[in-house]
Amino acid sequence: MTAKRAERVRRVTETTFGFAVIILIWQYGARLAGMPEYILPLPSVIVVRFWQTLAIQLHHLSVTATTTVIGLALSLLVGIPLALSVIYIRPLKAIVLPALAAFNSIPKIAIAPLFVIWFGLGSEPKVLLAFLLGLFPVFVNSVTGLGEIEPDILDLAKLAGGTGLRIFMKVRLMNALPYITDAVKVAFPLALVGSIVGEFIGGNSGVGYLILSGQFNLDTPLVFACLLSITLFTTLAIGAVAVLERIFLRWRPSMRKR
Amino acid sequence: MTTNTAAVKVDGLSKAFETGAAVEGLSFEVAENEFVTLVGPSGCGKSTTLRIVAGLVSPTGGKVYLRGQEVQAPIADVGMVFQSPVLLPWRNTLSNVLFTAEMRGWGPSEYRQRALDLITLAGLDGFEKSYPHELSGGMQQRVAICRALLLNPSLLLMDEPFGALDILTREKMGFELQRIWSASRNTVIFVTHSITEAVLLSDTIIVMTARPGKLKAVILVDLPRPRDTKTLSHPRFVELAAAVRDNIEAQWVE
Repeated sequence: MTAKRAERVRRVTETTFGFAVIILIWQYGARLAGMPEYILPLPSVIVVRFWQTLAIQLHHLSVTATTTVIGLALSLLVGIPLALSVIYIRPLKAIVLPALAAFNSIPKIAIAPLFVIWFGLGSEPKVLLAFLLGLFPVFVNSVTGLGEIEPDILDLAKLAGGTGLRIFMKVRLMNALPYITDAVKVAFPLALVGSIVGEFIGGNSGVGYLILSGQFNLDTPLVFACLLSITLFTTLAIGAVAVLERIFLRWRPSMRKR
Repeated sequence: MTTNTAAVKVDGLSKAFETGAAVEGLSFEVAENEFVTLVGPSGCGKSTTLRIVAGLVSPTGGKVYLRGQEVQAPIADVGMVFQSPVLLPWRNTLSNVLFTAEMRGWGPSEYRQRALDLITLAGLDGFEKSYPHELSGGMQQRVAICRALLLNPSLLLMDEPFGALDILTREKMGFELQRIWSASRNTVIFVTHSITEAVLLSDTIIVMTARPGKLKAVILVDLPRPRDTKTLSHPRFVELAAAVRDNIEAQWVE
């Protein structure tokens, strides 16, 4: 146990040290090279700007976060039942899979301006974009997780008198959980991309909007400060998923104690 | 073994796959509380026969009767053990054993005590809360056997349950199974490649021919129970094992 803790401390120290070195090189290298602030601001300047604009950052971040989370929730609410329909209604697979694959090959970002025309400058086009970007990974992973079950275990369940609902709840869904948490880890940053691009092309709130206004005023430190707050938000969200996995999916091969 | 109340009656069973016939005109009967073993070369349709008896696969010819009822769909009163333990990795030992009860829709609380008793009987005391990955292959297979026995099924089907184990564990598991089975005496159809295992465990051995599987011989094992390591050197045991071997090897020259 102590050896493991020491190992962990060592790893955290190494990472922190690595980051510190990069920041220091950036700070003093940029200064030495006489890099203008509107091209590459110094880390110290970015931190100060972040602190100055903290209230604004929080306001816009909360808008973006809401859009992202709603979009992601919709991806799950649509993606998982869609995966289910494909597994339980076999003929649907031949229709839904190619249709979705074809749809996925369209860059959703490219049709974003269309959403603004259709749904205006409110939150709807942004949520829609976040939802569409998150949908595919959720769907694909759910199909795998709900479908890839050892045939022997399904036979066993049938021979024990298992009904479709019981087999679904106690075998398929449980089997799919790690696939779905993995999908969330992929879909979350994608949904965030959707929200921010949506904010780029219309409206007057969200981190995307704040970045644009920073660019407009050549306030590069503000742009970087926005990137900092997005990074913090993503790290927090992915961290939360990881914590849930550690609590509920301890049986996974990757989570096992060695 | 031919009585009016056969637990299982297999009548002229045939199964053809696209790749050819797996089983052809196979007939045999299993009496109530009897331990019957199917032995034969690889690919002779032993596992297929077992699956047809369970109702998981439908035959292309012939019929299977379970206590006089024709089997047409998966039977809900059958315990099954496969070559691999197929435990659910997210469930601990106790919860894996209770899986069959939950599938039948019976609350685990009523079966908890029986599950714990079976776990004790299988020598897994202290591992109730362990997850499958924390157990050895032999222990996992014991959990699978407990799971199959939980509902005290009227028929227990075992498809090479010890096939994936090393030879020492395998021998030990044979004796363990005999001990566990003696406590309940469920009707068993057991599939194996091991002649020793077949003679040690069975009341009746059914030798099948190479693919497509047909009935080659029926050998009654009249060794007294319980059988132990001494049985292995018993003259009658050696004789019976030789008889089974002769029947299998006879096919090599055919």
